[in-house]
Amino acid sequence: MPTLTVDGKQIEFKQGQTVIEAARNAGIDIPHFCWHPSLSISGNCRVCLVEIEKMPKLAIACSTYASDGMVVQTHSQKADEARNAVMEFILINHPLDCPICDEAGECKLQEYAYANGKGESRFEEIKNRKDKRVQLGPYIKFDGERCISCSRCIRFSDEIAKQNQLTFVQRGDHVTITTFPGESFDNPYTLNTTDICPVGALTNQDFRFKSRVWEMSKTDSVCIGCARGCNTEIWVRNNQILRLTPRHNEEVNNYWMCDKGRLDTFKNVNADDRVDGAYIRKEGQLQKTEWDDAIKIAAKKIKEFKNGEIAFLGSAYGTCEDNYAMVKFAKTLGVTSIDFSKHVVEGDQDDILIREDKTPNSLGAELVGVKPSSGGMRLEGILRAIKDGKIKALYVMEDDPASFSEEFEQAISKLDLLIVHAANQNKTTALAEVVFGASAYAEKNGTFVNFQGRVQRIRPAVSTSEMDRAVDGMNMSRWDKFGTKFDRWMQGHKYDAKPSWKIFTSLSAQLGHKLKYEMAENVFAEISNSVDAFKGLDYDDVGEHGAQLEIKQTATV
Amino acid sequence: MNIWEIIIISLIKIVIALVAMLLTVAYLVYFERKISAWVQNRVGPNRVGPLGLLQPFADVFKLLLKEDIVPTASNKVLHTLAPFIAVFVGFATYAVIPIGPPIELFGYKINLFMADVNIGILYVLALTSLGVYGITFAGWSSGSKYSLLGGIRSSAQMISYEVSMGFSIAGVLLLSQSLSPVQIVAAQYGWMWNAIVQPIGFITFVVSAFAETNRLPFDLPEAEPELVGGYHTEYSSFKFAGFFLAEYANMIIASAMIVTLYLGGWQVPYIDKLGLGVTATTLIQIASFFVKSAAILFFFIWVRWSLPRFRYDQLMSLGWKVMFPLALINIVWVAALIMIFHL
Amino acid sequence: MSVKKREKDLSILGKLYIPEIAKGMALTLKNMFRPNVTLQYPEVKFEPPASYRGRPVLVQEKNGVERCVACGLCSRVCPALAIEVQAGETSAEKERYPEKFEINMLRCIFCGFCEEVCPEEAIVMSKDYELVFQKRSDAIYGKDKLLVPVDNLRDRLEFLRRFK
Repeated sequence: MPTLTVDGKQIEFKQGQTVIEAARNAGIDIPHFCWHPSLSISGNCRVCLVEIEKMPKLAIACSTYASDGMVVQTHSQKADEARNAVMEFILINHPLDCPICDEAGECKLQEYAYANGKGESRFEEIKNRKDKRVQLGPYIKFDGERCISCSRCIRFSDEIAKQNQLTFVQRGDHVTITTFPGESFDNPYTLNTTDICPVGALTNQDFRFKSRVWEMSKTDSVCIGCARGCNTEIWVRNNQILRLTPRHNEEVNNYWMCDKGRLDTFKNVNADDRVDGAYIRKEGQLQKTEWDDAIKIAAKKIKEFKNGEIAFLGSAYGTCEDNYAMVKFAKTLGVTSIDFSKHVVEGDQDDILIREDKTPNSLGAELVGVKPSSGGMRLEGILRAIKDGKIKALYVMEDDPASFSEEFEQAISKLDLLIVHAANQNKTTALAEVVFGASAYAEKNGTFVNFQGRVQRIRPAVSTSEMDRAVDGMNMSRWDKFGTKFDRWMQGHKYDAKPSWKIFTSLSAQLGHKLKYEMAENVFAEISNSVDAFKGLDYDDVGEHGAQLEIKQTATV
Repeated sequence: MNIWEIIIISLIKIVIALVAMLLTVAYLVYFERKISAWVQNRVGPNRVGPLGLLQPFADVFKLLLKEDIVPTASNKVLHTLAPFIAVFVGFATYAVIPIGPPIELFGYKINLFMADVNIGILYVLALTSLGVYGITFAGWSSGSKYSLLGGIRSSAQMISYEVSMGFSIAGVLLLSQSLSPVQIVAAQYGWMWNAIVQPIGFITFVVSAFAETNRLPFDLPEAEPELVGGYHTEYSSFKFAGFFLAEYANMIIASAMIVTLYLGGWQVPYIDKLGLGVTATTLIQIASFFVKSAAILFFFIWVRWSLPRFRYDQLMSLGWKVMFPLALINIVWVAALIMIFHL
Repeated sequence: MSVKKREKDLSILGKLYIPEIAKGMALTLKNMFRPNVTLQYPEVKFEPPASYRGRPVLVQEKNGVERCVACGLCSRVCPALAIEVQAGETSAEKERYPEKFEINMLRCIFCGFCEEVCPEEAIVMSKDYELVFQKRSDAIYGKDKLLVPVDNLRDRLEFLRRFK
């Protein structure tokens, strides 16, 4: 392999790599604004200037191809001086409004200004005024003054979102960004530009001014918007999710996620309609009940039915662990009618990220055995059997069959017993006899299997009432670490919810069966023992970026 | 005088002495606070009443209104008894101290002391020794390590200094040839004050008196930085007030004893030579007793706000290695004086 | 090297400490006749100098709007985690304002870091040292209690410009 020397360090590179890529692979970060590993090279910010031996002038590392024996200095006096000069130029028209800019704290310009800036300005003239607070598409606010014209957003919409919507207009220091005439910046991926914008020119309107970035904790997770399972980070303050950002995973979503996933998949976690605790229907009303009592009552009610009269519905929203625990519970009862519903929106799919299947785990649910065993019925069969009165009890885990169709809703209202696990109130919980508050995906450990057959971890980012951030090893912000219960920012509501596998464990203990799981990892260990596709995996193998499953057959429990 | 008259007169004297004593204690506390304020360039209590003169009463009410806390681990009987012993000792000692010459009132000859005990000095020594019990009981019965340490320190300290105190008094007794306070005062006629005749004895007695009253620089039994409150850590309300009262009563006793034994008691040198009337002379003499006592009390307070506390080992070595030998030297000195001048 | 004087090296007089005791007593006696420094507090109030760090307050401009833009630096730098800020958006040119600005005065240690870090001179230490609460919840000062007109803070702002 050819090698080059960067700052005295010999590093190997592949033919065709640029200096900045080669250095990055070796862990040397060369400052850059306009360069992005997934975008084409623009080379307009000039901040990645490095000194290369035998080259008469400084070269920009992002568009200089590495060649064997090249000697690169990123911090020679010449390079540093040039970089400082570039920074000074960029900062000439950049407003000093870090205090009101949402990007502060994760701003490349801010970081490089600290590292390479002079700390004071020689510019005594009046700065350029440009349009501020421009609505760019449905979700983005654009601030022309902050823009350093790196063109990342333009290249993103061209190359990644494949929609030519943004462009530069004007010249020199009057250059600014706008949409083409008649266009609107409304592709499904616009908000990625707020992530890649190296300054605060493009900001997410949904998150605008909600929190400073350093006030939040962030937890690795997976988006539940569709079967893609984009890797995300959940940003939490005061036990509230404030935003999601995509996390780099070459195999799944690269650096990106869609706007829908980013904006619509977390709000239910802190919504007012959360099911807060366990509820039993008494005198026609759902009434909050202690968990232990509710479990006892539910177990007693289940026992009143023959196994042929009961059906279980799993969920593609639930984790593999939850579905597996449900299947095992159903089978210990001798129930054979087990199924789940896929939520496919036909045609809503593209070649980039978005998938038709709007659930994160339909493959996982199938794999862990959410399907009828011998003599059992599929979803349609269950619906018919309910209508015929053959099935009198339905157990629904984390799904909302009442809103599948009118027919389903009417059928469900005829049931003698309906037990539901739900994170949020919905049509089904309104009809249920027993409702257990289920942890939302941001409140539990577990795994999803995406459409590619890649198993990925979710981790708790929001604490439920039975959890403690420190004890349960959750990520903590400074306030989580040092605050007390008397501080208001520590008083974010903790919902009284439990992960479904835990509810099944308690129920089975009441019914004299043995589902003995202490934590989600125990369930996963059992899955990896009994389901071939998961053979030999544990949470460590799944890790941050998931593990590809070898899917040959689906399991039997 | 028949027995009833004696009883009634004694009772009246006791009541007067008691009230006077309580008032003196109250205002002694007031002055302690005032003087400490002056030393520190402050004003001191000035809010309750004119010049803060009602402050002591406010203090007393506050103390009495507080909750009486008795620790669960304490010995209840001793815990309750301790402050009473302390107060009793403080007050009973005063019985033998003459504050003036005998006076004639309503045809009765009245002695200005409650009891003419011919071994009055022994009585005082005996009672002050009893005072140790109050503190030791308090320390032991509280069931607290701080109290216990305070109590132990206190008993060791008092016993140590009682020795030099006793030997200092021996010098006085040699001169007066009597154990009666009245006789001792009489023996210091003119300028024959023991403080002048035997200055070493005077110093050892004063130092011992500081130690006996647990005042700074010898307040180790209640050394706040080390022992929280020392023996009275676990006391509150009325019982705490008891110890408080006892401490100041002891100060008054100590100053009265110093005046009686070393500063000529109620005597004013050669006042009888001035040819004043009997009443005037008596009044001046009584006043002189109070002035002398007050001066000593001021000295007590002044020392407290000037000197730092001794370390415990320093206290002990001072007691045994300095004060005790000095007291012995004083006896030799007095004996020599008697031999040479046939006093 | 100077030799340290030890206890055993003292003269007899020194060992007795008596001259030193006398000196000390003389000093305290002298002090008794010096003028005292007490202020009669509730009637006479201590007027602190501009360098005094009383309770932190928010500067309110003449037009009644706070200077603060809710950047959250004070909250971040606060070693006692006393400050909580929630930003909000306004239509004014200065687009950001504190929707909620709370200082828990039970937590505040009056270190003045918030003032030092503030990029807008919007939070300053006032001369107000009279802080009384009867409930924990009373000790959480919101914008209603924190906003002080800029004219009342001239001293401190002047001081900051000269010495900060």
